[in-house]
Amino acid sequence: MNERTVVETGAMGRVAYARIAPNEDLVLAVEKLCLAEGFKNAFVRGALGSLVDACLGTLDDKYVHIKGPAVEIVSLAGEVRTSDDGSMRASLSGVVADPDGNVYGGPFVAGSNPICVTFEVTLEEWLPDANGPKR
Amino acid sequence: MILNPSSQPLRSRTLVHPGAFNPVRIQSRHSASGRHIRLALSPGLSLFDALVKPLARIGVKSASTTILGGFFEELHFCVAPADPTKQAVAAYTQPIYAGRTYMIFGNATLGKDMNGEPLAHCHAAIHAEDGRTRGGHILTQQSIVGADPIPVLVTSLDGFELRVTFDPETNIPIFQPQETSDE
Repeated sequence: MNERTVVETGAMGRVAYARIAPNEDLVLAVEKLCLAEGFKNAFVRGALGSLVDACLGTLDDKYVHIKGPAVEIVSLAGEVRTSDDGSMRASLSGVVADPDGNVYGGPFVAGSNPICVTFEVTLEEWLPDANGPKR
Repeated sequence: MILNPSSQPLRSRTLVHPGAFNPVRIQSRHSASGRHIRLALSPGLSLFDALVKPLARIGVKSASTTILGGFFEELHFCVAPADPTKQAVAAYTQPIYAGRTYMIFGNATLGKDMNGEPLAHCHAAIHAEDGRTRGGHILTQQSIVGADPIPVLVTSLDGFELRVTFDPETNIPIFQPQETSDE
């Protein structure tokens, strides 16, 4: 398994649910949840909660800031992958609603999305086949 | 409110909550395997009844669900601005009536309230009757499924349960994973 793997067959394993506490970073906390549960790779299967403020990436490598509190997470998808060097990286994408209910979408920038009151997340462990894709 | 795109990411603000800091920042539990269910929300029922009742019949009380999009006859939601009373850092507004609504995508968590009764916590992006695309906390008991069944992918959480528990740090009762109480 590496970054250029196109087709990766495998199976879903364990399912973890977590409540993540205020002021923790959304993206980094999902990585730490994988450490806590011993997941090497996972898909996000359900997520809702709120952020103090949100920071999403743009098409031209800039950042949009959505001011709260609270910014509600209304849609979220993503995965966590263990890299070749053994480190873990979550990539999360979604839609948020500001305190007036207006919506914005994009990738969540790691380190810049502090949780406001609570964040509920369900991860499904992804177990890639040991011998790579079946042909 | 949104600030103009910036070349720098946002420096996080650390908010101060009313209660004592809990050193445990991630409360997690896991099931040995996921049980998946495809549920169709029944037309005319509230989102709450359409989610909770069919799942209760097959023994599912705690679950994480993805609402895959569909029409609601009527929908009510709220948002969570700063709490003017300062009892918490944010508080839900009065319900906002969205009228006939298309739910673009939603996630709902099922569990138990503080009395052990079923509870659904749902956030979703919606296209409201006034033409605006909005999002927030959906009032599941007041929102009514439209004429066509709405598909939902359910992941059952087995071996533990979600129960609303008072959280002293935030001064708000919230879902927390707990040991199963009734089996």
